[in-house]
Amino acid sequence: MFTWQKQGRVFNPADIKNRAWLNEFAQAPSVLIFDDVVRVYFSCRPPANENGQYVSYSAFVDLNRKNLFEIKRVSESPILNLGELGTFDEFGTYPVSVIKHADEVRAYYGGWTRCESVPFNVAIGYGVSKNGGETFEKSGDGPILSYSLDEPFILSGPKIRKFNNQWYLFYIAGKKWILDNGKPEPVYKIRMATSDDGLNWVKHNKDLIDTKVEENEAQASPDVFFHEGKYHMFFCYRYSADYRGKNNGYRIGYASSDDLINWTRDDEKAGIDISVEGWDSEMVSYPHVFELDGDVYIFYLGNQVGRFGFGLAKLISYKP
Amino acid sequence: MKWSKRGLIFDPTKHKLANNCLEFAQSPQTLVFDDFVRIYFSARQKDFDTGKFLSHISFVDFDKTFKNVLHVSDNTVIELGGLGCFDEHGIFPINILKHENKILAYTCGWSRRVSVSVETSTGLAFSDDGGLSFKKAGAGPVLTASLHEPVLVGDSFVKVYNNSFHMWYIYGKKWIKAQGNEPPARVYKIAHAVSPDGINWYREEGKPIIADSLNENECQALPTVIKIGDRYHMYFCFREATDFRKNRDRGYRLGYAWSDDLVSWTRDDKHAGIECSETGWDSDMMCYPHIFECDGKVYLLYNGNEFGRYGFGIAELDKDFIK
Repeated sequence: MFTWQKQGRVFNPADIKNRAWLNEFAQAPSVLIFDDVVRVYFSCRPPANENGQYVSYSAFVDLNRKNLFEIKRVSESPILNLGELGTFDEFGTYPVSVIKHADEVRAYYGGWTRCESVPFNVAIGYGVSKNGGETFEKSGDGPILSYSLDEPFILSGPKIRKFNNQWYLFYIAGKKWILDNGKPEPVYKIRMATSDDGLNWVKHNKDLIDTKVEENEAQASPDVFFHEGKYHMFFCYRYSADYRGKNNGYRIGYASSDDLINWTRDDEKAGIDISVEGWDSEMVSYPHVFELDGDVYIFYLGNQVGRFGFGLAKLISYKP
Repeated sequence: MKWSKRGLIFDPTKHKLANNCLEFAQSPQTLVFDDFVRIYFSARQKDFDTGKFLSHISFVDFDKTFKNVLHVSDNTVIELGGLGCFDEHGIFPINILKHENKILAYTCGWSRRVSVSVETSTGLAFSDDGGLSFKKAGAGPVLTASLHEPVLVGDSFVKVYNNSFHMWYIYGKKWIKAQGNEPPARVYKIAHAVSPDGINWYREEGKPIIADSLNENECQALPTVIKIGDRYHMYFCFREATDFRKNRDRGYRLGYAWSDDLVSWTRDDKHAGIECSETGWDSDMMCYPHIFECDGKVYLLYNGNEFGRYGFGIAELDKDFIK
């Protein structure tokens, strides 16, 4: 059982001025820890176009390592360019997960394209930073992990990890599109791939996490960390329809594993839920857990999947 | 090489086709039986929601003179993909491989996009009824866009040589932005992948194997390969990237290349041994070639004007070239 103490909202994109591309949303936070700051990558959006459609960029905010509520800096520009005409990431780079490797920083991200019969499709892209994670260059115009026989669409939500000299990519893959009052809504589940070099991936080709609330439950943000002899995964899940409000919206789930392959889901242990009121009173989602100077923290999104930013909670106790 | 044309052998407008298809018999590809030849092709149904086309696979059975139609499929050969799948809006073309008593199909699935017209990937299916119908190995593709082959993977053609599966296919290098009346235009090239099992494919990404002859934006499509003696021969079609639909000078022609090692290919169009006719069904355009052997003879199926709207024809390789 994890017991968290909520610390409040850390970052609200509405507070940031002079960046047209950072108008709303601060989604899917993930950290890179430096000597003096904790850099939190997130994804944001300029205003929607005349058809109500968004593009999505990724950016970062540097927080004082000694006080995570003190913003030191916000990136001046998006960290990744959108893709070329017709390519997989032409309309969005969201979410992003980063990792230090030798003298570079690697980014794995969801690249968004727009489709005719369904609103979008996503595949996982890759970029490298040679300037300490300020900006990332793509090494090709296509995705690094894409669709296959059993993962037909929506490969998204990558979380890059390295355990025991092996690279792990936790992500989601689409199962089906369902129609809710004629509107296509995607169902996706948590998946995994492994790699020796972080570039060539072998898919595990299985759903990692049992489905709980309904068959068409959608699962996202598989955030894995090692703590006290076990692997822990925090993730989020929602109902398949009418999920943009409080009732069927995202909640944070939990699973644990000894081998990263077999996972036992036990949401009761997650220890974090919606608040009675405020910025996270309708939903909590996209958890990211990290250790800093002897403490364990979780960043997560609140209402409307991060439209109004992300907040922080601190681990008070953990009992297996 | 030298081919003798035998003319148009199948006009889809003169037959009743499944799935309410009315026109087009594109990219003919064969499955040879003891006493007849089944020729699969892609026909088009008008999608009434959008006014756009949906390509469906159909087939026609010919006797071995290729003069008599024995049967035209009246059922669905392979279902289009479900909502959001790579082959939701069409399958075109389909390549059939008979291997160890199994019948496999490599499909090119089409799904529509917003900023450009389409994206494609290669799917895999199997037949348990002698090629009358096919079931997919999965809802997703076996080969799709990747880091250095960013868009439009398709037109797969598979053969087993030296105990290894070889696939020739095309990948998109880029889309050229719309200019004037010209919509966004794709540029694609021919590449090669290998596999131990026909399911898991390995490719050296972004490596075109056929030299350009027109310019760097030349579009190369539908490779087909045959081994005669010790030499591998490839036919394909190629065109300019833009203004290729109605401008005869910029439309599809057949190209030719040969290889002795399946690694390096020498392009040699002037020895293709076949070109557009002066008049008639294949006078403006030739495209979507398919080579096959039947009873010791080598044949070439191909489409003519308007990308095969009015069917396909056949040519026979002169005996001097079959050793």
